[in-house]
Amino acid sequence: MTTMMDRPAATPGHSAPKKALIERLNIFTAFALGIIGAIVFYYVAKAILPANTDGSYIKSNNDQYVIFSMIGWFIGFMTGIGALIGPFRWLLGKDLNHDENMFYAGKDQGVKRYFRYTTDHKVVGIQYLVLTMIIFFVGGVLAMLIRTNLGHAGGGWLQPQTYNAIVGTHGIIMIVGTIIMITGPFGNFIMPIMIGARDMAFPRLNALSLWLIIAAVPCILSSFFLGGISTGWVAYNPLASQAPAGMDGYIMFICIFALSTMVAGANITTTVIKMRAKGMTWNRTPIFIYGVVASVALALPAFPVFFLSQVMSGMDRAAGSTFYNTMGGGSGWLYENLFWIMGHPEVYVILIPGVAALMEMAPVFTRRPLFSFNLAIMGIAGISGLSILVWAHHMYTTGWAPLLNGPFMLTTELISIPTGLLFLVLIGTLWRGRLWMTMPTASIYALLWNFMIGGITGIYLSDVPVDGALHGSMYVTAHFHYTLMGAGLTGALASLVYWFPKMTGRMFDKTLSWIGFWFVQIGFNIAFISMFFVGLAGQPRRVEAYAAMFSRGNMITTGGAYLIMAGMLVLLYGVISSWTGGVKAPMNPWFAKTLEWSVPNPVPLENFDVLPVVTSDAYGYGKAQS
Amino acid sequence: MSDLEAPKRPSVFERKDIKQTVYFWVVFTAIIGYAAAELQARSMGVSASETMSTTIHMMRVFTWVAAPIAGLVAAMAMTTLISKIHFGDTPPEEADHQIRNATKLSATWLIVSSVLCLFAVVWGTVVLQKDNAALLNPQAMNVNVTGQQWAWNFDYIDNGTVRSQDLYLPVNKPVVFHITSKDVIHGFWIVQMGIKVDANPGYTTETSATPNKIGIYDLRCAELCGLYHAFMQTKVHVVSQADYDAWIKSQGGQA
Amino acid sequence: MNKRLLGALGTVIIGAGVIAGIGTYVASAKNDSRVLAATPAGTINTAQGNLPHYTLDMSAYPDSMAGSHGTTGGKHPGWVTYGPVTNFQVPAHSVITVTIKQYDSGARITNDFFASVHGTIDGTAIINGKAVKSVDPEAVGHTFTLHGLSDAKSQLFVSVPLPSLPDALIPSSGYSKTPNTITFSLITGDAGKYVWNCEYPCGDGTIARFGGPMSTQGYMSGNFDVVNA
Repeated sequence: MTTMMDRPAATPGHSAPKKALIERLNIFTAFALGIIGAIVFYYVAKAILPANTDGSYIKSNNDQYVIFSMIGWFIGFMTGIGALIGPFRWLLGKDLNHDENMFYAGKDQGVKRYFRYTTDHKVVGIQYLVLTMIIFFVGGVLAMLIRTNLGHAGGGWLQPQTYNAIVGTHGIIMIVGTIIMITGPFGNFIMPIMIGARDMAFPRLNALSLWLIIAAVPCILSSFFLGGISTGWVAYNPLASQAPAGMDGYIMFICIFALSTMVAGANITTTVIKMRAKGMTWNRTPIFIYGVVASVALALPAFPVFFLSQVMSGMDRAAGSTFYNTMGGGSGWLYENLFWIMGHPEVYVILIPGVAALMEMAPVFTRRPLFSFNLAIMGIAGISGLSILVWAHHMYTTGWAPLLNGPFMLTTELISIPTGLLFLVLIGTLWRGRLWMTMPTASIYALLWNFMIGGITGIYLSDVPVDGALHGSMYVTAHFHYTLMGAGLTGALASLVYWFPKMTGRMFDKTLSWIGFWFVQIGFNIAFISMFFVGLAGQPRRVEAYAAMFSRGNMITTGGAYLIMAGMLVLLYGVISSWTGGVKAPMNPWFAKTLEWSVPNPVPLENFDVLPVVTSDAYGYGKAQS
Repeated sequence: MSDLEAPKRPSVFERKDIKQTVYFWVVFTAIIGYAAAELQARSMGVSASETMSTTIHMMRVFTWVAAPIAGLVAAMAMTTLISKIHFGDTPPEEADHQIRNATKLSATWLIVSSVLCLFAVVWGTVVLQKDNAALLNPQAMNVNVTGQQWAWNFDYIDNGTVRSQDLYLPVNKPVVFHITSKDVIHGFWIVQMGIKVDANPGYTTETSATPNKIGIYDLRCAELCGLYHAFMQTKVHVVSQADYDAWIKSQGGQA
Repeated sequence: MNKRLLGALGTVIIGAGVIAGIGTYVASAKNDSRVLAATPAGTINTAQGNLPHYTLDMSAYPDSMAGSHGTTGGKHPGWVTYGPVTNFQVPAHSVITVTIKQYDSGARITNDFFASVHGTIDGTAIINGKAVKSVDPEAVGHTFTLHGLSDAKSQLFVSVPLPSLPDALIPSSGYSKTPNTITFSLITGDAGKYVWNCEYPCGDGTIARFGGPMSTQGYMSGNFDVVNA
């Protein structure tokens, strides 16, 4: 390495060259090395893999090259960002010294630290926030294309395979976006401060979880140029095996993303268990922390299964295995099971932090204690526990095992009990509170409304005979948008406004937050209520054309979707303008009692000079009972 | 504030906010229940089988059972919204109480929601058993259904070698469908009969219905199956037994 | 205040513009706009009375060197394809006589149903001069299968098998001089959007041989628009 020569002799000692390497790596070297890695792996694969001439089993060379290239991209990217330096140094027995760790934490680096493998949880939080916004932008553009195509019966604006690719990519990228939308930005930035810790338990794993997602996103976007994913976000086999090479992009995307989720899950769970401030017993731990932990902990059993299911799918496509191919003794039902063993916990991974964030805000904006903290925890724990036992309710109509429909109906409907507790906690907190009307407060109302609709329609769907009429129709699409978007995203947008002052040091523009809120919520309800009705009338999901009888409902939905778009863009502008030129925020603009509001703006590196000692929970609002 | 003047708190049912809430509760329950139940039932269109009628009935009942809960939440939220709202950049004064729990209320809530859940499960299971039993009906006629990418076809195995692309069924006769696929997974869905089961390659799945109304209905694929999934649709003709026999003969089968 | 609202409005307009731009690009880049309209051919007497008559000619090739993919075969020279284009437009309430020249080989069809003729006038097709109701399921090359959405309109369903050419008749380069000629007539109903595709699995190397050219518009499938004349 020649860097010794170029560098000023400011850094003493023999560790200087290695440190220089750390300093030189950033997102640009990561992309460069990633692309080089992809090209190298492509040619290596082309040179060494035998040409597949027998057509008896389906293992196309094309898929092999694509998968190899993406593995090359992945290795190159992670090398280029510097994820391997720490483990490598550790392997050599020369762990990072204090200066290097400080460098990793982003000390004195200004804006540059946001483009690097920085371990400070606050930097990671901001990186997650921007990444989430980018993902939502991409997913939102795709949603608009879908709705525009469905604006009139017969479709035809987009070609069917383009449409199918857009539907699938919209689905999976939004799922990923909603999974990280709260635990990513707020779980990383806010959560450690909220529990009175200086950082996460494993700061480097924290950076790793973020950069894994950034490595994964190009894989799914590249699928557009490889024929698209024609399968919807579920990627059911054998359709996925039949699909063009874009499917390999999906597979790699999921594998890398699943790694990220597992890493983040282990990290956040450990942090919360081990690093809470002195005196913060479980009874004094804020409810938002429970939501985040439940979410990431649920991902721990779920995502290894997802990873596995996609590895098997990739092997079927590229290596001639037949896990899911009936002709070779496999079964598509196997895939469906693996997928939904991930898929159902996963929807609660998305939902719980959204609800928990609003439960955290409810006492602040009603100026009274959280109603029945214990029931809130019971609700979250009950949902989490049950959610790993309900996956086959997605498979009532697959014919896989009709005898199991009864038991799965039971577990599914049992979830309505802990879900009801969450409603009780929220409404109990609102009740007789002094309502401080802000966008987050209104979001609590929006959540109650949307989640009520999402929940009750979920009860219809959980009933096997009714599901026979509704499964696979637009009704289901509307239902899960009501839960994931109406409840989950509402919580995330409220979190953005609520924690924006702490994360950026500026207040989120009030007017814009209200305009965005109303556009999103009104547009959302217009769009998805009418989608329920076309679903009831018999419009299947994921269709690019439909019979004329569904025209009116679809037209209304498309109109509502444009309103959502306007609202989201207003909020986007709100983020940008408030971040750059908003009103400087006081330390505790909401007069809240959780720990994150006890640190100054901007939050110093390592958060606290002196670690706090907690003596009560954070909900001591209200006048004492006379 | 009246609370401060009164030496003793008024009994629960005399309190203004409670009265208001009860009033809202009744109104909201009625509106939510009626709107949700009727609009949904109406948009499900004609019912061409008992299965579908049961489904519509179940959705109606579930809606009415859920409506009081939704109505209560809405009523409590509304009462709070209209009585104690505060705008501004600084918080209002603290709430006038510190209630952190209400054991009886919570217990009631838990019991009521458990009972409702149990009701849904039990009723669902009963109907499910009936649907399952219908598969074993010896009087039923049998139709083999084959899905292949973007087309359906039907074998009337009780009537010789008749095959068709539109589905023909005699009215008021139980029919069991044996469904399979040639390639990927499709979803066999007769919309107005409320029945649905996937067509899987290499396996045969079953579902049954008794069409009870003469007419023309829709059969749509309910599982994304590739390029022309949207167009994998056909018609279901429910006709009288005599018309059905005539149609079978015209196709060269034995009635 | 005003500046912020203007900024927000600007963002919405720019965002909508970006989305519209992407949409227009995606829609145009991926859509084959070449459409073959049916040629008028007088009127013809049918059981439904005297109807306008139109003809439509197309071919099925064993690779993509012919058809709409250019002389180099486009992205997938080896894929089977229909030609000259794959999107068709025909008038409503008319008789359409379709003539298909079939240059490809074949084998056993997976579903005998599609070895029979369905939905044409008299339920027959004229294959190499002979009127038939079905062909040998062991020797099918492709099918032309036309279908639509299930809605209030009368549904058009037509499926005609195209028998395969014996391997002996297929030259090593170029196309056979003696393709199978398949002619059939159908009566269109109300205007509407239909699609056609091949039901003989010929996407070699994919699951159920239904990927590749079978699952990509412009090869073994396309639009079939019935429009008011």
